[in-house]
Amino acid sequence: MCSLKMRWWVAMELIDAILRAGASKADEVEVYISEGESISAEMKRDRIENAGGSKGFGIGIRVIVGGRIGVSSTANPNDWEVCLAAALASARLAHPQEWGGLPCPAPLPDAPQINDATLRLDAATPRSICREMLAGAAEHDAAVTGGSASLARGKVTIANTSGLLYEQERTSTGCSLECIHERSTGFEFDASPFMDLNPHRVGEQAAFFAEHGAGAGEIATGDYDLVLSPVALSQFLGYVLEPALSGRNVHAGRSWLAGKIGETCIGEEISVFDDPSRRGLGSTRFDAEGVPARKITFFDHGVLAHYAYDLRTAYRYGQESTGSAVRDGPGGAPAIGVHTMVIDGPRDTVDDDRAVYVNDIVGAHTANPLTGDFSVELSNATWIEDGEFDEPVRSAMFAGNVFDLLGAVAAIGREERIVGSAILPALRLNKQHLIGK
Amino acid sequence: MDNVRYYDIRHVRGSATHVDIDNGVVESAGTSFYDQAVVRVLGPQGWGILTLENFDPDAPCDRLIARALELAAITGDEVELSDAPQRGVLPVPKASEDPAGVSLEEKTELLSSIEGAAKLTGIVNTRARYAESIEEVRFVDSSGCEYSYTIPRCGFSVVAVASRNGEMQMGRESSYTIQGLNLRHKQEMGEKAAQTALALLDAKAAKGGRMRAVLDPELAGVFAHEAVGHASEGDLIREGNSVLAGKIGESIGSPLLTIVDDPSLPYFGFEPVDAEGVAVGRTELIRGGRVNAYMHSRQTLAAVGNGFAGHARAEPGEPPLVRMSNTFIEEGDASYDEIIAECRNGVLLQGSRGGQVDPGRGVFQFNAEYGYIIENGEIGTMVRDVSLSGDILGTLHAITLLGNDREMHEGYCGKGGQSVPVSDGSPHVLLEDAVVGGNGTD
Repeated sequence: MCSLKMRWWVAMELIDAILRAGASKADEVEVYISEGESISAEMKRDRIENAGGSKGFGIGIRVIVGGRIGVSSTANPNDWEVCLAAALASARLAHPQEWGGLPCPAPLPDAPQINDATLRLDAATPRSICREMLAGAAEHDAAVTGGSASLARGKVTIANTSGLLYEQERTSTGCSLECIHERSTGFEFDASPFMDLNPHRVGEQAAFFAEHGAGAGEIATGDYDLVLSPVALSQFLGYVLEPALSGRNVHAGRSWLAGKIGETCIGEEISVFDDPSRRGLGSTRFDAEGVPARKITFFDHGVLAHYAYDLRTAYRYGQESTGSAVRDGPGGAPAIGVHTMVIDGPRDTVDDDRAVYVNDIVGAHTANPLTGDFSVELSNATWIEDGEFDEPVRSAMFAGNVFDLLGAVAAIGREERIVGSAILPALRLNKQHLIGK
Repeated sequence: MDNVRYYDIRHVRGSATHVDIDNGVVESAGTSFYDQAVVRVLGPQGWGILTLENFDPDAPCDRLIARALELAAITGDEVELSDAPQRGVLPVPKASEDPAGVSLEEKTELLSSIEGAAKLTGIVNTRARYAESIEEVRFVDSSGCEYSYTIPRCGFSVVAVASRNGEMQMGRESSYTIQGLNLRHKQEMGEKAAQTALALLDAKAAKGGRMRAVLDPELAGVFAHEAVGHASEGDLIREGNSVLAGKIGESIGSPLLTIVDDPSLPYFGFEPVDAEGVAVGRTELIRGGRVNAYMHSRQTLAAVGNGFAGHARAEPGEPPLVRMSNTFIEEGDASYDEIIAECRNGVLLQGSRGGQVDPGRGVFQFNAEYGYIIENGEIGTMVRDVSLSGDILGTLHAITLLGNDREMHEGYCGKGGQSVPVSDGSPHVLLEDAVVGGNGTD
């Protein structure tokens, strides 16, 4: 059986060379190296159609010259001189800004649980995950249309001319399955830093929603109590709340939350954090610029407390970096993001009283990121009562506003799950507007 | 290697250049470099696929093929490939002005003039971004098919935010092309973004419900893409994940309606050849309201039939998938004024904030940038945050008029974690019975 062994590139000489060459031409230099390997299996219907192995590598170089920030990246370590020259050229074009320097080495928080040192990238593992999902799906009357399983291992190294040098390894596992029954589709997934997926449950849930949704009835236009699943919630948070919390958007006048620090902006029992110490896929000891990661309170019992800053935005507006820089893949330039979004408040059951359960939504990316207004289509909606799924709802549009929605939270579910880089519960919402057919 | 039935290697190197100007400040401008290859090997059953950086095209690739074959050993699907007799690479349309020949300084100045034009009174933020990729593609497969080409893609977007008494709205304009630098003399697009944002401050929230709707060419193009295009992709048909499976020859819409995907046209979704080395051409997905053909890769053509290969596309460093390219509704003969008059009472929807579809369920959703109430055949009040959703199999019958004014608009389409450049287009269309969403109450 095939196994891709890890062979971390010996990057130290390369980093030294770039820092030395860059320092002769720029005030400061930063090198960010990202390496990764993965192995995956993809099913078409109920059979594995392809198995993939990938290796990724990227070098991101950032230089600062008189407050002008230049960036470039390359996949080829032999091309680092071209990349450095491009970063210097980039700095010449950027407007200068207030700049207080790249971070020096500092004490880092304890490592979150993000690395499974025992994870082996062996193709037999995705295959067995697929088999377990299929076994789960067989519990309901639905056909599998596709699915996938993957294991990945990655490492980032960040170094700069202030003497900082950090490394961090992480692993991730994931699986998903799609099913159909008549014209009803079901989708479920699981993801974790560790080899602790529950593929059987993923298969069972995907098939359940496909079977359950067949023969669903319509719903009349009106106001309803809703239960938003963690997956549906993550879409609203990702497309609207995260950009609104970005310090850059706030100061540029592109955020509904601008100027509202200290005001109650969402439900008074709700607190929202970035907690990079949690066992999540985006958790980390340091951000993408080498600033120590820390817990940030965005909303404290409904009151807006902090925005997210990277170094560039913090220096420009006289703030402090919140350690919120993230990078988009190998070679990406740093930008403001959230490592591990969590939401907290009084926990309760969310599904005792009758409500419409929204498993997912279609079209969240079409929400208005400035105002939070949205109208999306429900996916796998069903009535729920006493914790049991009742008759399914075929289709309905859900129209509202993300900030209003976070003000209408009646209860926060007890269980949480990893969705992307967030760890979220289900929410119960009072009186939300649905447009029926 | 005995068990290798087929292999191909697609190697893409290139550079990506960007400029980001935010409120008059050049935040970032520069160039990055990428180099990625995908090696696909068809074993006795399914595929083994290796993705790697910095592939050396001159080195022997036996070891990579052997490793991909090992991966293929865990597959269990019976993959067959159709013959692909149509080979050949179209010439990449000549750029009117090669973006590589213009300095980054000049591009930054040109973008800055577009961004500056958006600074009208009442505008609190302007942002313009330029993106350019110059992609050098090489392909070789086990049958000896080999090709290479270089394609430049570039374009820009400009966003203006208007604010008044704590209310905020935005307007956005964008243009992307394969035909050369498109930054000159585009200040009016900055101005238009600003005017849209300012006008939206006075717009009402749309009230949802069933009504007649007129879609502008941009939004109707997204409609063709979401409602018909995805459901006509051969891989979804094969997996049983499309409501259009098994519907060849069936009438699913008005006899006026013809919907086409054509990667050979020189719009933003242009491909000189597909990602499996198959020649590209026009596929009529819907003809005269009937399901006519599916888009295919060699694999899905062999499994499903009823359509054409030449629709495989891949993001650099990713394996090919069946994808749309330039997708459009063919023109009818109605004028814009006739369509508005015929609508009488309803809503005109303009511009697109994107859309999404569940092709298996046959349900789609997409969002307009803004709209206008149509009353007694006249354009009335402006509305904001208005969306449209519906059933693929029901909504196409609701198209009762097609305009004679087709336009194409550019964007990116996501599927299976890959994003590819596309264009969508249409004339104005009238929908007799549309489900319109909005959070207005009166």
